[in-house]
Amino acid sequence: MGVGEQLVTYVTQNGYYIWEEFYRHFLMAAYGVLFASIVAIPIGILISRYGRLSKWVLSFGSIIQTIPALGFMALLMVTLGLGTTTVITTLFFYSLLPIIQNTYVGMKSVDQTVIEAAHASGMTRFQLLRKVELPLAVSVIMAGIRTALVVGIGIVAIGTFVGAGGLGAIIVRGTNATDGTAIILAGAVPTALMAIIADLIMGMIERRLNPANKASAASQ
Amino acid sequence: MKKRLTALALAPTLILSGCALPGLGGPPDSTIRIGTLDTVESEVWGYTIAGMIEHYTDLETELITNLGSSIVQHQAMVQDEVDITSTRYTGTDIAGVLDMDGITDPDQAMDIVQKEFDKQFNQTWGDSYGFENSYTVSVREEFAEEEGIEHVEDLEPFADSMNFGVDNAWVNREGDGYNAFVETHFAFGNVYPMAIGLVYEAAASGNMDAVLGYSSDGRIAAYDLKVLEDDFFPPYDASPVIQNEVIEDHPELEEILDRLADTVTTEDMQDMNYQGDVDLKNPSQIAEQFLEENNYFETDQEVNE
Repeated sequence: MGVGEQLVTYVTQNGYYIWEEFYRHFLMAAYGVLFASIVAIPIGILISRYGRLSKWVLSFGSIIQTIPALGFMALLMVTLGLGTTTVITTLFFYSLLPIIQNTYVGMKSVDQTVIEAAHASGMTRFQLLRKVELPLAVSVIMAGIRTALVVGIGIVAIGTFVGAGGLGAIIVRGTNATDGTAIILAGAVPTALMAIIADLIMGMIERRLNPANKASAASQ
Repeated sequence: MKKRLTALALAPTLILSGCALPGLGGPPDSTIRIGTLDTVESEVWGYTIAGMIEHYTDLETELITNLGSSIVQHQAMVQDEVDITSTRYTGTDIAGVLDMDGITDPDQAMDIVQKEFDKQFNQTWGDSYGFENSYTVSVREEFAEEEGIEHVEDLEPFADSMNFGVDNAWVNREGDGYNAFVETHFAFGNVYPMAIGLVYEAAASGNMDAVLGYSSDGRIAAYDLKVLEDDFFPPYDASPVIQNEVIEDHPELEEILDRLADTVTTEDMQDMNYQGDVDLKNPSQIAEQFLEENNYFETDQEVNE
């Protein structure tokens, strides 16, 4: 039997199982990035206000990125134990940097004249943030979340080593079998597809939120 | 603004407290967590136990797969991260967990683990499933016939020029790993640690002259390898292990596990492993088939009811 045939057999026999792991995989990635966004966006806004902090915060984020994900998971496993919690927490830390960075850049790149105009019209600081800065920066922030999610889907694939399951479990099953290429593909292809689809959808949202596109849509 | 700050403070606590997020894992009280190794065998038994529990009780089950070794399984049990581990082997736990050695009698080994695990860790070591998964040294059948090799010791004259392919997990083991093997027997010319999936094929194709594999692995027979006799390795009878506290909460579980005792011979296990490792069947399917063939090990009385 060729690999193609084996793959078809495996997928038809285990379609539901693959779907279950796919769903689990996606949820872990999504939760990690979601929690990171909740923390990282306010931090990004904060450091764009207090420039002196930015260097420290961004270096801290970069340091986390240099630790190999598997090692990081193994370290967290000691305190958090086996399972999805460890994977989601790992992802949380890895997603901080791209989101903080993009929030920071997004906030910084808001045109100074616009801010001055808003000030002049009597807006409070909070109104300025909510009505002017955030809407102008939101597409850049989304780009950060998009990067974090795509990278995160890859990281979750190794989560199976801390007992979290996901599509990585299928890949590992394949590496232990003799001629398990078909099983490896049955785990790896959906992982890649998930990353591509997530990238496309997030890209679409990002474009939709871009104020430049909004303005042109309104003027038509 | 205050609300936002609370949310900000709450998010990490929520993650760190490890409460079950929607979609991931059931309610902790009624979910039995079953830990398995990354082998087909271990996953098959994990799914079998899960199938039995769901058949006889209202409890839910969750499988935690791909635990790296028996020691990791044991740690997971001690730290209360799993309730049951699906496959534990007498020899492994005697050497790795209890730190004893030199026990070669299977019954004595079973006695020791059952007593000691109850005493030291408050865990019940179940009775054997009926098969054993021992380490074995194998060579190609042709080679064994030509040279008249039956026992590992017969390899000694050839050992210096032989390539020995072994499982990554074995080579550095204390007690019955390669170092101890060399002390008892002899050293091979070259030793190649590799993923277990590659070992048998490497022997069949001639890349390796001798390999260390597992006696319940279906690929030994499938690749025409000859298992050599040996009295170096301790017995490795396979059993489930369950936490006593879990039995106290759900007494029916002990009886469910007892039903699985002595149900599978080493040959049956080879067959199941072959379906998983070579025919690429998913362990969950193999387990389901096994349970259905045996009608979930219902007793005659229950069938009549």
